[in-house]
Parts: sequence; structure tokens; C-alpha cells
Amino acid sequence: MEDTKPTLVLEHVTKRYGEFTAVNDLSLQVRPGRVFGLIGPNGAGKTTTIRMIVNIIVPDSGRIELFGQQMTTALQDRIGYLPEERGLYKKMKVGEQLRFFAELKGLRGGEAGERIDSWLRRLQLSDWKEKRTKELSKGMQQKVQFITAVIHNPDLVILDEPFSGLDPVNVDLMKETILEQRAAGKTIILSTHQMEIAEKLCDDVCMINRAQKVLDGRLREIRRSFSRNAVALQFNGGDGLLNDPALVANIRQNGDDFEILLVPGANPQTLLKRLVDAGTAVTKFELVEPRLHDIFIEKVREVA
Amino acid sequence: MRKFLAVIKREYIQRVRTKFFVVMTVMGPVMMLLFTVVPSYLARIKAGGPTRIAVVDESAKLYDRFRDALMTERGEDEADSQQSAPAPQINSNQQERMKRTAKFSEQGYTLERVDRAGQSLEDIKLQLSERVRKSELDAYVIIPSDILTNGKAQFYSRNTGDIFTRETVAGRLSIAVRDVRLSEQHVPPNVVKELNRKVTLSSTKVNARGEEQDSGGGFNVVFGFGFIIYVTTLLYGQMILGAVIEEKETRIAEILFSSIRSFPLLMGKLVGVSLVALTQLGIWSLAFVLFALYGVGAVAAQGVPISLPHIPAMMFVYFGLYFLLGYFLYATIYALVGSMVTTAQEGGQLSTPVVMLLVGGLFLAFPVIRSPNSSLAFWASMFPFFAPITMLVRIVTETPPLWQIALSLAIGFATAVGLIWLASRIYRVGMLMTGKKASIPEVWRWVRQA
Repeated sequence: MEDTKPTLVLEHVTKRYGEFTAVNDLSLQVRPGRVFGLIGPNGAGKTTTIRMIVNIIVPDSGRIELFGQQMTTALQDRIGYLPEERGLYKKMKVGEQLRFFAELKGLRGGEAGERIDSWLRRLQLSDWKEKRTKELSKGMQQKVQFITAVIHNPDLVILDEPFSGLDPVNVDLMKETILEQRAAGKTIILSTHQMEIAEKLCDDVCMINRAQKVLDGRLREIRRSFSRNAVALQFNGGDGLLNDPALVANIRQNGDDFEILLVPGANPQTLLKRLVDAGTAVTKFELVEPRLHDIFIEKVREVA
Repeated sequence: MRKFLAVIKREYIQRVRTKFFVVMTVMGPVMMLLFTVVPSYLARIKAGGPTRIAVVDESAKLYDRFRDALMTERGEDEADSQQSAPAPQINSNQQERMKRTAKFSEQGYTLERVDRAGQSLEDIKLQLSERVRKSELDAYVIIPSDILTNGKAQFYSRNTGDIFTRETVAGRLSIAVRDVRLSEQHVPPNVVKELNRKVTLSSTKVNARGEEQDSGGGFNVVFGFGFIIYVTTLLYGQMILGAVIEEKETRIAEILFSSIRSFPLLMGKLVGVSLVALTQLGIWSLAFVLFALYGVGAVAAQGVPISLPHIPAMMFVYFGLYFLLGYFLYATIYALVGSMVTTAQEGGQLSTPVVMLLVGGLFLAFPVIRSPNSSLAFWASMFPFFAPITMLVRIVTETPPLWQIALSLAIGFATAVGLIWLASRIYRVGMLMTGKKASIPEVWRWVRQA
């Protein structure tokens, strides 16, 4: 996997709007057949980065290479893009709308028709084909929008917040569909704030904050190498023990379950020993990888 | 290219199917009918049927002639008017049409001869007045025995506001009196007829080559062309404005730009809507031609005075060309405005100067119609933003040399292409900007950056 040529390469890409730097010296690689998570707080520069990748805007400096070539308009047809802000013609019928966007991606009429039907079936929208888009619920429109991103069978699919507005059933359907795309060999860039979903779907993650990359790599390695240890804990008694800023950075409690994030360099054994020495009954003590959510918050705080 | 066609197809099909388009397309010819046929019908068909007039003829010489004059406009002229009736004069102006209308309205009279039968004039008048009050009569006329020398008669009417009937009665009675006077001087009837024959003016335009041709109509027709250009340009320009703002507001632009470059996108949009406009204008023209060919004859056959301006086929071509010129110039500006603003309301405000420019062309049409060969007319018709109206108006009034037409079209379309190029650069950046209206220096930066 490591040896294959990357689908997408960004090298020292910078984009400024007047005085404001939206993306600063960003370099990253997206490898084929993987789900690449692009995460970061609001206003970090994710959308600008994505817009540069899909060639809507041009970077002020730096290089973007897609499928081993310098970005061109012809390459746009090999990208599928689901923007964060939904954009559909409200008065158009669903079927016509999909056909239009398919044609915009260079698809021929007949071929488009078959794919539209099969995608509508796959996302349980067949009954809505002849309905005007504005009659659809937000979640349904979201699914229609998703189809516009994949209808032309692109090699790179960029999904910006694909789960917003979806109910749990449809979130699962969407997840399944994304994994199917990956299984079919597509490269997927997923930008989302929903860390639990990113955690489950992403193979690689890049985190941007304040226009700069703060984290990049395989998700598993990131979690493993994250300097803090996290402990999942269940115990009775000894309440005050955890309030030691020299040892514990963050506590989250769900009923009897505690999730403890230790300060950098702290040894989990120290915590266990302290609990045992205090005579508390420890029913669960498990070293866990930190959740992406925690890593995210930690990284954002670091910069702030 | 396929993408470009996809944009055109979408714009065209989505718009042609709207209720707005269907209603407008149908309403055009209906309005045309309303403004041409209906007034004629209305003028002819008087509410409440013909005007009933009783005549007391004390001279005993005038009734027959008066009746003839009233019923057939003027008995002697009937042959003449029939000759010209089947081909309604094409370039008739408003005045002539009014007269024509009036002529037919006069048929709406019924006359009744009242015999004194020994009763006094006062009694007769009382009886007739009573009948007028009961609405059995509309008016009555007393023709005194000395009318031939005195030239005075009395007209009694319920509706003194009906000046039209009074004037007609006076006019026809004068004719009858004159005819009787002439025949009493032993002027033979054929001479009387000859003396009474009307003069008709037929207007013919002399063009630069000295040829004669139909003038294509008076002020109304000329101004009508300019006005249609104005209205359609405004209508379809604002359609583009709405479309661009919709795409910006709904963020469709982002997907569009990730699939197609801004120039073919903007161009496809403009062409698509222009085809919608041409479809509509085509249907209107067809309706006009069909009406001119069949409708006018049918309506005229029913005795309704109607005339349509004669429009040479070439005029339709010029009209199409200058419509397209105006449309592409103004729609492009509207697209620009649309990409710079964030709401339809802002778009309306910012497009006011655009409308002013268009109105400027319409105002210039007045001096241009009056002197189509003045230097003002020349320059106005070379300035691309005025040309669609002013040059078209010149062509209709007094066709300028072909090189002038060609030059104005060349300048116009070159400007349009430049404008579209400029617009597509601003459009691309503007469409992705949200939250605030763009300032002019900002827009200038976009042009240089893009």
C-alpha cells in the first residue's frame, strides 16, 4: 500500500484572501483506495483546501498534483465532489437534476440514465425520481446530492460533511456506501466534524488548524503515538484521587465509567498503584487509544 | 462541448416549461388581439344596439337623402370605399383608423320617419320626448321646412354627452341639404356624385435609392419595435439575474465550477435563455404573421375596421439580430451583478443603473425617429448599449446604409464578447463569495487575479 503512487499530492500550497491566509504551506498525500479524513475546527481552511483540490480556486503558490498530473480542467471529471453547502436546483425534478450533473461531468445521456436509476435504487429514492427537489426532505436532498458526486464513477470522491441532516438509518446507509466506494478502489477524502464517524471510516487523517497542518498520518498510528495514555476505568471509592493535575489531564464520566486522559509522560501504572494503595475496588482498568475526538480537542487547544 | 450543451439544454427546458413562460407566450398574441381587434369591435358594437332616431321632416324633401347619407356614410361614396376595403390600408396611422372606426359605427342607426298627420309640431315633440324618456327612442331630429334656406334643424337627445351621434347627424344632414340644394339648381346626379368624391391620401416612403416602398408604418410601429426590444431585454436580462442569484444563494455554483469552466458555463446560460427568448418571440411573430394573413381578413370580412402594419420580412431578421445584441449585452451585465450580490434585493438595487442605460436608449428613440439621419442618430446607433433600440428604430423609419448597420452590429457584438469574457472572470470569483456584497476595487482585483 505504501509504495503505490499517491492519488493526490499537495506541496507547499498556500492560499491568501487579501490579508487573510486561508491555507498556509500545506503539504499532504492521499493514497489510492483509502479513506482520507480531513479534519479541523470551523474556519481552519478545510473548504479552501478542498476547493483548490477540485480546481474551483487556484493556489497562490505550491503545487497540486492529481493522478500524477498537474491539475487541469479535464481532470475535474475524475473527481466527485459533495460540497458542505448543499446546492441543488429546487424546482428541477430529481431525475433531471441528476442527469444534468452527470452530463456536466461528461457522461452521455443513455449511460447516465442507467446509473441514475441504479443509484436511486441503492439509496432508496426511486419513488422520488419524478418529484421536484424542493418536495424532498433535507436528508433525501442530501442523498441526491451524494449521487451527483458519484454518478460519473469518479476515481476520487470528496465528501464534505456527508452525514449532516441524515437520520441514524441513513447515516449507516451512507457509511456503507462510502465503504463500498472504497472497496471498489476509489480514493475518498472525507471532511467532517463527526469524530466518531471519522474514527470508524478513515484510514488516514490530516488535521488542519488555523490554515496549517497539525497532524497527518495513518489514523491507527496517530492514535497509538499520541503522547498521552488514556485509561478506561471503573472503581468504587477514592473519589478525590483523580484530581491531581500532575497526573490527570482530563476526566470524562459516563455513569460508573470514567475515561481518563493522563498528562504527557505520566505512567498509567502510577495511577493504578495509587488507586490500589488507597483501597478502592477497581473493577476495570484498561489502557485505551485516545479517541480522535480527544486528539482533536487537544490539538486545537495546543494552538490556542 | 457536451457540458456547454448540457447547460444550454437545462436552461432552455427548465424555462420553457415554466408557467410564466407559457402564460407570457400566450398572453403576447392575446394582448395583440386585444389592442387591435377588440377596440374595433367595441367601437362598432354599441352597447344597447343601434341608436334609434326619429325624424320629423317638415321640408318633405330631405328624409330619403338623410337616411342614405347616414346609412352608407354618403351614398355616392359607397363604390369607392368598397374598392379599398378588401386590402385594408397597411400603414394607416391612428387618425385614419379612428375615422374608419367611426365610419362603421355609423351603421349602428335605425331611422324612423314621423308623419305629422295633422298634429301640431308641439304635440309631436311631446310624444317623441315621451318616447325618448321611455327609452323607446334615443334621439329625434326636427327638420324645419325652411332648412334649405335657413340651414337650421333641431336635435333632441336623451344623452347629450353622445357628441358623436350629434356630430354625425349634423354632418349627414348637411350633406343631404347640400345635395338637395344642388339638385334644385338642376345639377345632374352624376355631377353631384362627382363633386362629392373624397380625396384619399396614400403615403409612400421614398428611400435613398429613389425606389418607392411601403413605409412600414408610422410612429406607433417604429416605437413599438423599440419598445418590444426594451421590454424583452429587460425581461430576459432579469431572468439571468434571478438565475445567477439562485445558483449563488443555493451554492450550486460550487458544484458547477467543479465540473465546468466559468466561460462555457456563463455562455451556456446566456445562450440557453436567449433561445427561450427567441422561441417566445418566434411564436409571437408567427402569431402575428398568421393573424396578418388570415385573421385580419376574417375580422375585416365581418365589417370590423382593422389594419396591421405591414412589416417586411427583413425587419424580422433585423429585429432578431438587435434583440440578440441587446440581450447579450444586458444579460451579461445582469449576470455580473448577480455574481456580485448576495440577495435578490441587492441585485435589484445594483441593477438600477443597468435599467437606466436601457431606458436611455428608449428615450433616444424619440429624437432618432424624428431625424433618423442626424449625427445624434448615427452616434446613438453606434454606441453598443443604445444600438439595439436606436438602430432598429432607424432601420424602421429610414433604413440607413448597410455599412452602418453592419458596423453597429460589429461594435455591439464585439463589446458583448469582451463583456462576457470579463464577466466570466468576475463570475467565477463572485459566485463563491458569500456574506457580503463585493466592492468595485475588489471586483477589479478578481479580474486581474482570475
